[in-house]
Amino acid sequence: MPGALRGPDRLAFLLALVPYLQDHDTVSVTDVAAHFDVTPERVRDAVTLIAVSGVPGATNQYQHGDLFDIQWDEFELNDRIVLTHLVGIDDAPRFSAREAAALIAGLQYLSALPENADRAAIASLMAKLTRGASAPPTQLLAEKSGSADALALIATAVQADVQVEFDYLNGAGEHEHRFVDPLRVESVDRDWYLRGWCHLRSAVRTFRLDRLVDLRVTDRPRTGQPVSALPDRLFEPSAEDLTVVVELPESALPLLADYRPERVTDKVHTEKVDGDRCRVRLRLASFHGLKRLVTGLPGTVTVIAPGEARRVVADWAAAAAAQYETPAAPTERA
Amino acid sequence: MAAIAVEERLFSLVLALIATETGLSRDQVLSTVQGYRQRYVRDKDNTGLERQFERDKDDLRELGIPLEALDPYDHVQARYRIPKGLYDLPSDVRFSPNELMLLKLAATVWREGSLSAESRRALTKLRSLGAGASDPVLGYAPHLRALDSSFEPLNRALDRGEVVAFRYLKPGDAAPRRRVVAPRAIVQFDGRWHLFASDQEVGATRTFLLSRIVGAVVAVPRSTFEPDPTLTARLALDELEALWQSNVAEIDVEPGSDAAVRLGKRGIAPADAASPRVSLHFTDLNILADELAGFGPEVRVRSPESLRAAVLQRLAGVAALHRDPPQPGDPEQHGIPEQHGIPDQHGIPEQHGDPHVRPDREQR
Repeated sequence: MPGALRGPDRLAFLLALVPYLQDHDTVSVTDVAAHFDVTPERVRDAVTLIAVSGVPGATNQYQHGDLFDIQWDEFELNDRIVLTHLVGIDDAPRFSAREAAALIAGLQYLSALPENADRAAIASLMAKLTRGASAPPTQLLAEKSGSADALALIATAVQADVQVEFDYLNGAGEHEHRFVDPLRVESVDRDWYLRGWCHLRSAVRTFRLDRLVDLRVTDRPRTGQPVSALPDRLFEPSAEDLTVVVELPESALPLLADYRPERVTDKVHTEKVDGDRCRVRLRLASFHGLKRLVTGLPGTVTVIAPGEARRVVADWAAAAAAQYETPAAPTERA
Repeated sequence: MAAIAVEERLFSLVLALIATETGLSRDQVLSTVQGYRQRYVRDKDNTGLERQFERDKDDLRELGIPLEALDPYDHVQARYRIPKGLYDLPSDVRFSPNELMLLKLAATVWREGSLSAESRRALTKLRSLGAGASDPVLGYAPHLRALDSSFEPLNRALDRGEVVAFRYLKPGDAAPRRRVVAPRAIVQFDGRWHLFASDQEVGATRTFLLSRIVGAVVAVPRSTFEPDPTLTARLALDELEALWQSNVAEIDVEPGSDAAVRLGKRGIAPADAASPRVSLHFTDLNILADELAGFGPEVRVRSPESLRAAVLQRLAGVAALHRDPPQPGDPEQHGIPEQHGIPDQHGIPEQHGDPHVRPDREQR
């Protein structure tokens, strides 16, 4: 990712690096790289560029005194940076309206986390970002992410270094009691997930927070794996996964991003007004999950194959529709 | 390919414009500043270089660098400078290790798209202040997504104060209709992105669901608007919250099912294990109908009637589409007769622009 930076991103790095170097009389390239989370090569390139840059000056000739300067021996022999002459800038640049807005919206979203529930602290931080922007931040906010109670319990368990326990209804519709070492909390928009070492399965598992029932902090110490054992993605496909082919409008493809759709055909020409439809192959753990996915995107996603998957979806939807055939009566279902 | 790297030209431009008190004219910039001067030809046509300078100015402004143009309406006379006082981060804007930790986490919320690049740039700027961040207690990987393709162009238009046009499919309407709006805020509420905007034709604010914007969002040429400090993201969220509060759905859930567990937690009253009844607030009837349909027979809608009809229509449609034999070429067959079509527009964000009208129309 860092290799493909655009010119403006590289410029932002140069503008941020100068005041940092000014504040540090002497600092190693590797320390700077670690601090800015970039490669040492990028730091060396940037320092080399800064050291020969400056202002046109009175002569318009970029004379020596119009340029930055460093101790070249220290840089070339010891990989250390000592800035000896400074031109033009000596302070951190302000944020742009959109940079500040991105952080403010991120903070607002994070305020759902119990550690960040201190409204006043978040508000003061947002105000600082606003003051630090060169124009009023664009109006961008995210709210209603929920699950605060479960998050607070999990944070308590992590602090005490103990397991949590809960009943869980898994993706295949089975209830099980679990003991879990909490490792990380992840979220996607309004959905929150707990990832942890599951003692029942002796493996790392992902749980939806809104499916945890009777969540409790235990007094059993955490015994499982370190966080580094976590795979990158929330859901990894497994060998037993089922493959289904579905059809949907091109524009709806992002809705299935989590299932990593593979394109089967490009375009299916139909008379529909909602644009081109395409067919993609999805991998799912069970038809149990598929029927929920497809009826939750009604009219958008249609299962094409296999026939069994179509049947499962049709039966599920038809059974639900059938409930409405009899007039509403209170609590009639067994 | 020019011998001088882009960042060297941009960096030199920033330094030159900060160093000048009186400003530099375009010709001065092109003839003296590193990265331009090498390509400048005196008394000849420098159109290519002039265009480069225009693009570079845009790049600096995107970075939040306050580039000032004195006499801005005359390309030859105009003088450019960067006032140092507006460039420097104010001295009272400094962050504690705890705050930096929060900001780092806030930046990782955006993992893709332009907001991710902007967050990373903001972090780079923060790091120039030197302080290191403390580590969070529990590993968090929060993630906000902007999957709607209209998000980026709307966010850009918001920043630039540009009036935009797009086609919007209001639920219940057969075809999308063109809307011309001044974007005021983009908010995510209950997991969905909404645009809060001044509708230019109606002369009032409206809230649009990004997922219902059809096709491209285009900037209307030469049409800009003045910011209105009263039309904030907070106001947009408050309106959505009020709408959410005023809409109530009553459903029955099958005890012990996924629906009972998940919807029960969102219920207004704490879920009672013995009763299958759950009351839910919602903002958008059609979105809730989609979600409830996904629970299949685990959910039965009791009220409002419009929601009941919308869910039934969806279920019948899905069942019809999946009945054998496969009819991939005929997705029109939605199985349910006309009169079950979405009956009213109960709770559609698009129509709640005017807070004075809203309560009557939404409550029912």
